[in-house]
Amino acid sequence: MFGIQLAGNLLQGLVLGAVYGMATMGLSLIFGVLKVVNVGHGAFMMVGAFVALWVFNGLGLSPIWAIPAAFVLGMALGFIFFHTSMKRLIKAPELASLLATFALGILLEETVKLIYGADFHGYNWIVGKVSMGITVMPMSKIYAFVGSILIALILYFWFTKTRGGTALTCVVEDSEGARVCGINVGRAYALSFSLGIGLTVASGVLLTMFIPVGISPYMGGVYTLKAFVIAVLGGLGSPYGAFFGGLIFGLLENGSYSLFALIPGLEPFAMTRFFSFLILLLILLIKPTGLLGTK
Amino acid sequence: MKKNMVMAILGFTALFGLVFATGAFGASKIVIGNPECLSGGFAKAGEQAVGGIKACVKWVNETYGGVKVGGKKTPLEYKLYDCESKKEAVTSLIERLITVDKVDFLFAPYSSPLTLAGAPVAEKYKKLFMDHGGASDRIFQQGFKYVVQTIGPGTSYHLGTLDMIRKIDPKANKLALVYKDAEFSRDVMRGAEKHAQTVGYSIVFKRTYPEGAADLTPILSDLKGHNPDIVLGGGHEPDGMLLARQMADLDINAKAISIIVSVTLPSFYEGLKNIADGILGPSHWEYGVTYSEAGAKKLGLPWIGPGQDEFVKLFKEAVGKDLTPEYHSAEAGAAVLALVKGIEMADSLDNDKVRAALGKLHFMSFYGGWDVDDTGLQVGHSMVDMQWQGGKRIIVWPPEAATGKPCYPLPTFSQKAKGTLCIPK
Repeated sequence: MFGIQLAGNLLQGLVLGAVYGMATMGLSLIFGVLKVVNVGHGAFMMVGAFVALWVFNGLGLSPIWAIPAAFVLGMALGFIFFHTSMKRLIKAPELASLLATFALGILLEETVKLIYGADFHGYNWIVGKVSMGITVMPMSKIYAFVGSILIALILYFWFTKTRGGTALTCVVEDSEGARVCGINVGRAYALSFSLGIGLTVASGVLLTMFIPVGISPYMGGVYTLKAFVIAVLGGLGSPYGAFFGGLIFGLLENGSYSLFALIPGLEPFAMTRFFSFLILLLILLIKPTGLLGTK
Repeated sequence: MKKNMVMAILGFTALFGLVFATGAFGASKIVIGNPECLSGGFAKAGEQAVGGIKACVKWVNETYGGVKVGGKKTPLEYKLYDCESKKEAVTSLIERLITVDKVDFLFAPYSSPLTLAGAPVAEKYKKLFMDHGGASDRIFQQGFKYVVQTIGPGTSYHLGTLDMIRKIDPKANKLALVYKDAEFSRDVMRGAEKHAQTVGYSIVFKRTYPEGAADLTPILSDLKGHNPDIVLGGGHEPDGMLLARQMADLDINAKAISIIVSVTLPSFYEGLKNIADGILGPSHWEYGVTYSEAGAKKLGLPWIGPGQDEFVKLFKEAVGKDLTPEYHSAEAGAAVLALVKGIEMADSLDNDKVRAALGKLHFMSFYGGWDVDDTGLQVGHSMVDMQWQGGKRIIVWPPEAATGKPCYPLPTFSQKAKGTLCIPK
């Protein structure tokens, strides 16, 4: 019984972890290139969740169609926000960009609230389930998992095999060196901010495919905190690190429940967070730059 | 020059005399201050509460003619700030309402944690703190003197649910409790556990999940292994929806499922559709309850306030849209009516005198009965249980308030996915 439950929870954790990882890649990318900590991260995910809601409830389409729509919307938002605010703050003290992204987050929350109200929304996309013996997995979660992996792979190939991606990698490693080599660093900043926000908004859609309820203008706060933890775990500035960090976080969060449930008198769910943060601390003690982070 | 000085002094003296005289003969208005959640996590409940308060303030001013104090009818004025669902904002806004806006009475914001956060500030200034949405019993175990509750205590939420199931199906015995680890839901679980033991249920599973949990799969996988007859749980809006959704995902079926707070909101059904069908929820008020002036008369209780339909109309006008009032609005509106009765009984705006009067007050309104014990805890209001049946909200318990029969046992989630509705036979 214990083994079945543990295996089931690990499988569910792996699927959730892939979505968490994908949701953190945008945060890590923006930090890696611009050295800007996007504290409005969760609000951008919230926008993606509402795109999924609109596509499903408003247009009557599968939320899968919301992924490209959210990505394009996110890129556009990123482009606008970069040129109206972030561009001027790149060389400013860190607190200025921190406050600016915080303000952008509030702006998005209140704008969405004006349109949708403060209600908690959800959508009921039923596409079947797969009984795996150890657990039951809804197909919507499997689609979210596959979608996250595909996006991470596309991003990987774009970064390593294309001119634009390689240019961004150069800016992450040494922006001054990249400028000397003829790379348009200003354009790289704009592209990475837009791409980061695009990924974040798209991840909001994937998140609702895993959890299609609780969609509200203020849903992002929880995910901002988780994304920071995952980004640090994977190595701030490394989008792939963030993805693997997400996988590890999902496995720890869900998998450790079964272990703590064996100890009488403990509330196992509360202990999963303690355990996840303990492992984070240990990893940082051993490798202060995170799993895939570099100095 | 000297003559002008004398005239100025006389003028000021006359002006001060006039102001003093106005104060002595009674205030021109009675101001209620309220830091309410218009944004943040509790914005939905806050919007409902504000609508309920405004509806009843309007009824008091326009239909009732004002609050009778000092032999004169005085209108109510409602002073509102957005507390953003944050404790630190609640405490500073209460200070502001008392020291800057000089309000006469205070209304607490929605939720137990925010009511608990604001209560010490209200106590410091000896201001009456009308609690309309803080159900935790712990609020009334702190020795506060000025907190007066209208919403019922958290420990009473599932008493009716358990009684109802015991009556329908005496063989249903295995009870599971799955709650959010928060002030209010812990109280609900404690009350349910105690009552379950009294009535004779056997508790096969009792676990909590932390605030902000995004995925309940681990705890629900654990629950599935215990094969319960009845599942009681939840916390607030998002996690209640998540609980129902993930129970459906994992095919965890029970004969009865009751979830606090979220089930009573229309968004629960809108977001979950057939998954929501048949799920029960304890509620302080539902449209269709049968409280009336005639009913109050039979019980020998004084009645105040609009009737049910009048309240709904006033509420919709107050929020400016076709929004259905839920229990969060009804309890906030009833708190206004209680305050009016208290002021009239005390015949004063002195907060200590009004608090003493509220301690003796027992009345009925569209919300139902109202009575508090010495600590300010609500003891006069009975809850109802509602159930989603074919997309409609039906009051199923207690029998005297019911608008339909309970649907029991629930169809399984697979049956519901194929279109089976939860309609009583």
